[in-house]
Amino acid sequence: MSTGKEQLLQGLDTAVVEMDEELVVKLANQVIDEGIDPFEAIDQGLSKGMERAGQLFEEEEYFIPELLMCSDAMYAGLDVLKPHLKTTREKKGTVVIGVIQGDTHDIGKNLVKIMLETSGFDVTDLGRDIPPARFVETAIEQNAQIIALSTLMTTTMDGMQEVVQLLINQGIRDKFKVIVGGGPISPGFATRIGADGYATNAAEAVKLAKRLVA
Amino acid sequence: MAETRKSEEMTSLERISTALSYQKPDRVPVAPLLCGASHRVLGISYDTWSKDGALATKSLLAAQELLGFDAFVTLVDLSVEAADFGQKVIYPKSSTAYPDYNDYFIKNGDDYRKIVYVDPLKSQRMKSVIDICHGLAQARGHDTGVIGFIYGPLGVLSQIRGHEDLFKDLIRHPDRVLEAVEIITQVLVEYAAAQIRAGAHSVCIDPLYSSASILKKETWEKFEGPFCKRIADSIRDAGGLVTMHNCGNGVYFDAIIKWINPVAISHAHPAYGCNSWEEHAAVWGNKVVSMGYADPATIGIEMTPDEVIEECRKEIEIFSGTNGGFILSTGCEFPPNGNLLSVTAMVKAGKVHGTYQ
Repeated sequence: MSTGKEQLLQGLDTAVVEMDEELVVKLANQVIDEGIDPFEAIDQGLSKGMERAGQLFEEEEYFIPELLMCSDAMYAGLDVLKPHLKTTREKKGTVVIGVIQGDTHDIGKNLVKIMLETSGFDVTDLGRDIPPARFVETAIEQNAQIIALSTLMTTTMDGMQEVVQLLINQGIRDKFKVIVGGGPISPGFATRIGADGYATNAAEAVKLAKRLVA
Repeated sequence: MAETRKSEEMTSLERISTALSYQKPDRVPVAPLLCGASHRVLGISYDTWSKDGALATKSLLAAQELLGFDAFVTLVDLSVEAADFGQKVIYPKSSTAYPDYNDYFIKNGDDYRKIVYVDPLKSQRMKSVIDICHGLAQARGHDTGVIGFIYGPLGVLSQIRGHEDLFKDLIRHPDRVLEAVEIITQVLVEYAAAQIRAGAHSVCIDPLYSSASILKKETWEKFEGPFCKRIADSIRDAGGLVTMHNCGNGVYFDAIIKWINPVAISHAHPAYGCNSWEEHAAVWGNKVVSMGYADPATIGIEMTPDEVIEECRKEIEIFSGTNGGFILSTGCEFPPNGNLLSVTAMVKAGKVHGTYQ
């Protein structure tokens, strides 16, 4: 790697970690102007920075505000680089994620989405207040491997079971792994509804997803 | 603790008060944060319960009569204060009210200046909670604990701005956030004191972001700690006890005590730095009374009554070395859709397994 290119990719990495969205955009444009492969800039710059941010989060140097700012910086860079991609990253799998119908708390879901994307998963984010049938329809359309369900409320937990039941009713339960998480969710609940896994936080969710698609 | 049941020697209020002063009451008090679930006791819809203070009062009284818990907590939902600052709120028929996430009152950094002082006594939803405190105190304040409730200033702001954007604004626009927190605090100071004047024995402050699951301790101390101190002081000045709730993981007990100094902390997880409940009880159990810590969803939805009793027995046992300074509770609000027999089981556990020698 040439020194200029190396510095640029390192700059992207550092700018993500330092939450400097403007600098990320400037460096991403420079990547394009200098003819550097945008795939490399994502892989060796943005993603590396986000991985380091995730590591700092796990080490309790960064907390949710810092992680969110880093992800904003990363996405700003992706917006510049993605249209120029000629090669695609090797995907670990496709995940359909969303907050179950009746619940609109989505910060946990968003953190899981960020960490999954950073780790190489293709993520289709359905958003919040999503009917169970839509998870199933989208997972079929996207040929996903994982359906990730989130809720913070006890009144909406049963919607997770509905997703599993819909998959069973349609005879496609074995085509998808269903993972669940959120404030009131426990490993016992996950087992009871027939989910394939439960994670306590975003970092654990990534480890779980990797195990399930391995 | 004795395994046999002694006759009830204290009223619920005496039981709670004694526990809060680290003396041994007749048995462990049981206060399972049964709030929204009470709407089912009177058979009214959740949205009606959320908006009609008189019916909410009747529901809470009926629930206490039916289930026998030792203290009321007047948590209606976390959007109460935000609504009075101008946030549009959605009231589902059978679930907790919440802000309209598609239409936040604060939409950008400049909008923080839209936050202006509101007189809680002339407001709609805060006044309703003050009235609930008054109604409960009038009816049962002589023998049952009445604990008011307010969401911390940063929490209120998150209901008006949205959690994610607020968290980012702590970095992007710290001064504007602090200006809004200052105004909200002025209102909450009045609101908290009004709940005590209405008859509540205590007001529970919920600074939800004072935990390692959300913010760095220093960040919380900058944006909410000193503001919560002013609210806590106003509760004490009005003659009430300060309690505190946080269901987050890794609550900063040291910072909470530094700024709020509550007589009890209602929590769902061991304090920051403690790896188990046993460690928590050993480190913090004799410094501040714990209200906890049954997992609401597990206890309210998944467990049978017998399993609930066994879980509560374990929790009582873990805090048995705190010289009476423990209140059996759920770590967060009892599920609005939870099995009310689980509450009965918790109370039974307090009676059967919580009797002090």
